[in-house]
Amino acid sequence: MRLFTRYNQILLIISLFGLLIIGILFYRMLVFYLDRQIDHDLVEEIMEVKEYSDKNSFYKPHEFEDLIVQYKKIKQARLLSIYADTVFYNPVKHRTESARYLKTEFEIVGQPYQVLVIASKFERQEQIRNICLIILLPVMLLFGLVLLVNRILLKKIWNPFEQLLKNITAFNISQENPYKSVDMPIMEFRQLNQVLVELSGKVKSDYDEIKLFTENASHEMMTPLAVINSKLDNMLQSNVLGKDDGETLVELYKATSRLTKLNQSLLLLVKIDNNLLQDEEKIHLKSLIEEKTVYFQELISERNLILDSALADVTIAASRQLLEILINNLFSNVIRHNYDGGMIEIRLNAEKIVFSNTGHNKALDPEKIFDRFYKDNSSEGTGLGLAILKQICNRQHYLLEYSYHHDLHTFTIKFNK
Amino acid sequence: MKILIIEDELGLQRSIVQYLMAEGNLCSMASTYAEALERLAVYDYDCILLDLTLPDGEGLQLLNYLKRMNKTEGVIIISARNSIEQKIEGLSLGADDYLIKPFHLSELNARILAVVRRKSAHGERHIEFNEIRIDLDAKEVIVNGKVVYMTKKEFDLLLYFVANKGKVISKSAAVEHIWGDDSDMADSFDFIYTHIKNIRKKLIDAGSKDYFHSVYGVGYKFTDI
Repeated sequence: MRLFTRYNQILLIISLFGLLIIGILFYRMLVFYLDRQIDHDLVEEIMEVKEYSDKNSFYKPHEFEDLIVQYKKIKQARLLSIYADTVFYNPVKHRTESARYLKTEFEIVGQPYQVLVIASKFERQEQIRNICLIILLPVMLLFGLVLLVNRILLKKIWNPFEQLLKNITAFNISQENPYKSVDMPIMEFRQLNQVLVELSGKVKSDYDEIKLFTENASHEMMTPLAVINSKLDNMLQSNVLGKDDGETLVELYKATSRLTKLNQSLLLLVKIDNNLLQDEEKIHLKSLIEEKTVYFQELISERNLILDSALADVTIAASRQLLEILINNLFSNVIRHNYDGGMIEIRLNAEKIVFSNTGHNKALDPEKIFDRFYKDNSSEGTGLGLAILKQICNRQHYLLEYSYHHDLHTFTIKFNK
Repeated sequence: MKILIIEDELGLQRSIVQYLMAEGNLCSMASTYAEALERLAVYDYDCILLDLTLPDGEGLQLLNYLKRMNKTEGVIIISARNSIEQKIEGLSLGADDYLIKPFHLSELNARILAVVRRKSAHGERHIEFNEIRIDLDAKEVIVNGKVVYMTKKEFDLLLYFVANKGKVISKSAAVEHIWGDDSDMADSFDFIYTHIKNIRKKLIDAGSKDYFHSVYGVGYKFTDI
């Protein structure tokens, strides 16, 4: 729910309830005061009746007064006066109207009488209705106006906030989109903006530091690796090695080679991240893939893989280095995760490259396979090949997708994201 | 050959010396910039191995010095930094090759031979090993006067083995030599066997002796003993 909507909703509910309560109270007060006024008139009528009684006659009200006086003989007059609401038949207007009466008892011309004065409330009710209307209409108008102003004002005030939201969303650390500061007159927003500027700066510098650390750590490891490698090479020249030593050396070579590969991959990731490989040029993808097919030929035939490729003449502008790594990794991947005698399918057209392969695994988790160091236990790779693939696609603004159907693991790269 | 090794990592320096001396080369060593400068001023070498990060100076400065002195030694940079910029800078300052650490000594040896061959005045463009003759320009292998057809990778591999004749080359080194480091496949060593088998068969079919010997299952040695 949007902030405006929520705010207006609450405002509307509270205002309506408030208005309703105030309206009821106001109406009750008005009715109370008008009743008091009628009661006052009724008392005056009684005074008149008493005045006439002093002159030994019965008072009769004028016809236009919407008022009747009734006399009833009683045995004994008590001291009482009762005010109450009633309905009566107005003989002048020939209709029943709501009214107010005053009942009292006293002696007239020496006889005890119950005197009932009934006054119509019709005129007064008309008055109440008019007063209510006069007050209600402007209040409603004002209310509507307040809502409208609120809406416009809120929108205007929150406008920079929306901009700020947009800028945070656009903030991307690995693609070098820094957080763009927003200029704002409101203090709280300004504070938020300030905090975001500082935070994004901190995140960026931490990120850079980690990248630098990875780079330095990987570089530093290269020299000791070179020492190990060279010592192994020398050891291999010895004439006194036994069969067991040979096996140990094989393992040592494998481990060293893997460590080297891992380091190189980490460095490559940092390099792609730092945008160091961006020598854009026109690349004929078909010939690049064909060239790489020859490059990987021995590996493909060694495992009796069937290669089925359909390549269109496609030329794109991109970094040659990145594309070579991309195709290399795709090839390595479809060969490595295949079984002997399996299939490799390569498709290339103007929109996309597709590499598919058969494999022992069922569908992989498309959310995770591009994560660094994600690999199944049987894999001998570094676990960085697909991460590098993803990174290159990000850099080149390609869309990389993984899918699995008809027993084929398929990697699709769409050029136009 | 006289080779100067400028490298501050003593472990690596000793390994290189050990490997190259066994090949019958004369090696001198320098672990600092000052030491290197001193040696370069006095002696002439056939080849110089140069580490770029020295404790007391930039290795690239030594290239400048060599240029100023009009020295024509072959220089191979050995560096842990795999950056195109540095590679280009080094090569444009007169280095002949750029080798990234970690490397195999057999690779280093092959590169040294290639650099020295390029630099030498006679410019021998072929290598001979008994009845095998390798033509570097035509990229052809000739056995007893007959051309043996080989794929590019087989040719490179044979050349590599001949350059390191008498030495055991690990499968790991052979894989890296023909696959470079941009493939993620460098850990699968075993297919190198197929390559060696093919080369062997082609050579023997052409009438050559079998010079490839498997060693401890770790690698192969190319030798006529």
